[in-house]
Amino acid sequence: MFRKFSLIRTEICNFSGFKIYPGHGKTFVKSDSRSYRLLNGKCESLFLQRKKPSKLSWTIVFRRLHKKGQAEEAAKKRTRRTVKAQRAVVGATLDSIKAKKNQKPEIRASLRQAAVAKSKDAKKAAQDKKKVELSKVKAAQKGNVSKQQMKGAAPKVQAKSR
Amino acid sequence: MLLLKSLAKVIDNSGALVVEVINVMGGMRVASLGDEVVCVVKKARAATSDGAANAVSKLKKGDVARALVVRAAQRVRRLDGTFVKFDDNAVVMLSKQGAPLGNRVLGVVALEARQKRWAKIASLAPKMV
Repeated sequence: MFRKFSLIRTEICNFSGFKIYPGHGKTFVKSDSRSYRLLNGKCESLFLQRKKPSKLSWTIVFRRLHKKGQAEEAAKKRTRRTVKAQRAVVGATLDSIKAKKNQKPEIRASLRQAAVAKSKDAKKAAQDKKKVELSKVKAAQKGNVSKQQMKGAAPKVQAKSR
Repeated sequence: MLLLKSLAKVIDNSGALVVEVINVMGGMRVASLGDEVVCVVKKARAATSDGAANAVSKLKKGDVARALVVRAAQRVRRLDGTFVKFDDNAVVMLSKQGAPLGNRVLGVVALEARQKRWAKIASLAPKMV
């Protein structure tokens, strides 16, 4: 035997807008296959009389339409804005973070330029060094040398007969 | 809540339109959703109309056949505590073996049809409530 309240899902009355707890209300299926949940005899009677819920001041439809009770709803909802607080990280203390943040843009730009120039110089130096080394190696080798031999492989066996 | 002499709408394409109950199967006095019923065809579709069943012979006025109640205007309590009621009394025609006579069902059918093992009709139904 299954429990009656296994699905405690409150439905909403299609007429009044109130919640329908299990065990209450009726479901009315019209001939156009649309089903309506009605909370009680009051709603059912009015529904069958084809009354419009938007014209009955106690229904939720009416209240929403005429914006009743919205002021209280709005007052309850107060937006909460989180304050972002700066915290120190393992690599940088709070002061250093603040200092960096407050650096003037010109100073930052000049620092950045210096860093860029430095890296460029370093790169150029590395490239020059590489070139020199390469030319040395090439001078040591005689004749045409394959890429693999450059890397240090044994020389290719030349064909002596066809 | 269909009794002797109750009229019901036929919502399949077996050819019958309105049907009058002459007996309720299972020794009950009253037939509700998902109950089988014996009935007489009071009004039928014209013989040459299209959309009628082609598999079995069409029902004519005066034919006696069995039917399954699929919609009842009297409210019916479901096991979860809700009550359901429909706008009208409707019925799907059956053969003596329990197979539907039509091959299409039009309109809503109550869930009791599936619950009471009328799977064929439940599968034909476009919507179940």
